[in-house]
Amino acid sequence: MGLTIENVTKTFINKKAVDNISFEISKPGVFALLGTNGAGKTTTIRMMLGILKKDTGKITWNGKNVDRKSVNFGYLPEERGIYPKVKIVDQLTYFAKLKGMNKDEAIKSIDYWLERLKMTEYRNMPAEKLSKGNQQKIQFITAVMHDPELIILDEPFSGLDPVNTDQLKEVILELVSKEKYIVMSSHQMNSVEEFCDDVVILNKGKTILKGNLNEIKNSYPVNKIIIESKNEISKLIEEESLTIKNQKDKTYTILIENKSQAQKLLEKLVKNNIEIEKYELVKPTLHEIFVEKVGEN
Amino acid sequence: MKDLITVAEFTIKEAIKRKSFIISMLIILAIIILGFNIPNIVNIFSNDEDEKTKVLIIDSENILGETQIRIDNTNTNYDYTITKENLSENQVKEKIENKEYDSCLVVSKVENQIKLDYVVESIMMGETIPEDLIESFSVQYTASQIKKAGLTQEQLQAMFTDFDVNVIQTDENAAKGNVLVAMLLSIVLFYAIYFCAYQVSTSITTEKTSKIMETLVTSTSPKTIVLGKTIGIGIVGLLQVIIIAVTAILSANTFLPAGSLEGIFDMSSITPLFCIATLVYFLLGYFMYALLYALTGSMVAKPEDIQSANTPVAILAVIGFYLSYFSMMNPASNINLFAAVFPISSPFCMPLRILVGSAKMSEVVTSIPILIICILVIAKVSIKIYSSAILNYGTKMNLKSAIKIFKSKEN
Repeated sequence: MGLTIENVTKTFINKKAVDNISFEISKPGVFALLGTNGAGKTTTIRMMLGILKKDTGKITWNGKNVDRKSVNFGYLPEERGIYPKVKIVDQLTYFAKLKGMNKDEAIKSIDYWLERLKMTEYRNMPAEKLSKGNQQKIQFITAVMHDPELIILDEPFSGLDPVNTDQLKEVILELVSKEKYIVMSSHQMNSVEEFCDDVVILNKGKTILKGNLNEIKNSYPVNKIIIESKNEISKLIEEESLTIKNQKDKTYTILIENKSQAQKLLEKLVKNNIEIEKYELVKPTLHEIFVEKVGEN
Repeated sequence: MKDLITVAEFTIKEAIKRKSFIISMLIILAIIILGFNIPNIVNIFSNDEDEKTKVLIIDSENILGETQIRIDNTNTNYDYTITKENLSENQVKEKIENKEYDSCLVVSKVENQIKLDYVVESIMMGETIPEDLIESFSVQYTASQIKKAGLTQEQLQAMFTDFDVNVIQTDENAAKGNVLVAMLLSIVLFYAIYFCAYQVSTSITTEKTSKIMETLVTSTSPKTIVLGKTIGIGIVGLLQVIIIAVTAILSANTFLPAGSLEGIFDMSSITPLFCIATLVYFLLGYFMYALLYALTGSMVAKPEDIQSANTPVAILAVIGFYLSYFSMMNPASNINLFAAVFPISSPFCMPLRILVGSAKMSEVVTSIPILIICILVIAKVSIKIYSSAILNYGTKMNLKSAIKIFKSKEN
């Protein structure tokens, strides 16, 4: 059960957009497809959906080739598109019918999703009258209104304000609780870090890192300490030959190479009667891992 | 099939809801109704019985009395008054300037020939010498001269016998009927096919530029989109043509005096068979040009490129139209056979040939299959190019890359 990508390659004129990538999404939840701009994320997604033909490799859903007929999928493309002059309800009904729903089912689902995303007031408006963020939410409804089993979201949060971002995150978590398979592509690491279980990081069409996010993060040693203190401790830190990455008010972010450096610094602070309000050993974030991996390649 | 109906239905709804469609249809219908009402409008603004143009006929030499010419004031827009007074040029001028008369007709005899001088303030646009008066003069003068010669009634009748003129053509397929109907049909067919087909290109480019394509192609197949759109726009076009034709027929029957249309157009060739043939050629012609436009529309990335991308198809359509026009004007020319079966011209040419009775059955059974084969080939190429080009948001695709896509096995 799930989506399998095996040794997939795609070359455009003189440029290898995707170079022999493989990964598997074997359980419901959010799978993150990460990478820099032009890393091959959208090309991979388009091949997954059958819009683009792959040069080599195999893409299957539950053992079958992925196409419109064999998989009930929903897709939010990176290129946001909408019929500007057409009423919201009319264009959503059109897409729902193309996804196999009858008119009554379509209207019921559309009304549910408009209500869920607090957009009922725009139901009978032409799309051009909606803000960019609201247009994006309409496109999100297009991707989920037919209750697909596989949902592909290409940069779902780009262009959304914090309120709409939180609203969309809430809906994604709800879809996860309904055991949906979600592939989320993004170059905003922090926004996907909070949902995703497994990740693939692409760079220049190649896989540079893949696996379970927690396992990946656990495989990286602690590389920072965050200390909050009312006292001035910069001098003590420097005496231990450590680098302060960031200092804001009385919060210090200090780079370390191993845990013993952190231990030594703590002992020194205690010895000097420094009043410590917070002392935290921090592992690298997905963002830092991403930057490091892309830098290596 | 369900998706095809959904795409066609959506295309139809969106097309007929467009303000531009509604406004242009209303304008066309208003022009048609207005056009058929021109004689009535002219009558409203023209002078009524009391306001006939007053003409003074000055016959100082009593030429009219001598020739027994009678001036009839009924059934004419002129009110004639005859005077035998010998008026000077200034007196005539004065009568016109004082608005006593609108014009004067001075009758005189110079060397046994009757001379008519028509005096008017100024010849305005559309104002002419009262031709019915001149004609009446001419006929009555001839009659009186003949009477003077002492001819019998039988001799007179024999002189004025109307000739029954008939044209008999030796070629069985030679053109018959009114060329005016054929010309009108040729223009209507060209504009209907060309403009309906052009909308397919516009519709595809609009979808590309609004970036809706990616959502669309993951919802249904490119083949369904192209064919659904083509069918949808075709139905709207056909509906437009039917509404225009019905309005024109109803207006003609309502506003024109009975039989006046038959006087201008020879309607005898408008048979049910001709109507069916015209519908078939319209639909086939529309599909061929619409699919060509689908191809050019999908190669375009920006709306501003649409004009240049569509130019080759427009040139083909114009060549097709002129071939049919040339064929109509030269029914005996050998180019007719070519124009009748060549797919770019046959949709315009064949209905005309059927109308004027010069079409051979062999031309019909050859041209329709050729058109269908041509449509199938163009559909295959268009759908393949469309499938590959729809996600091209960058620059306009050139012919070289389009050929490369068509030759490739993928997509």
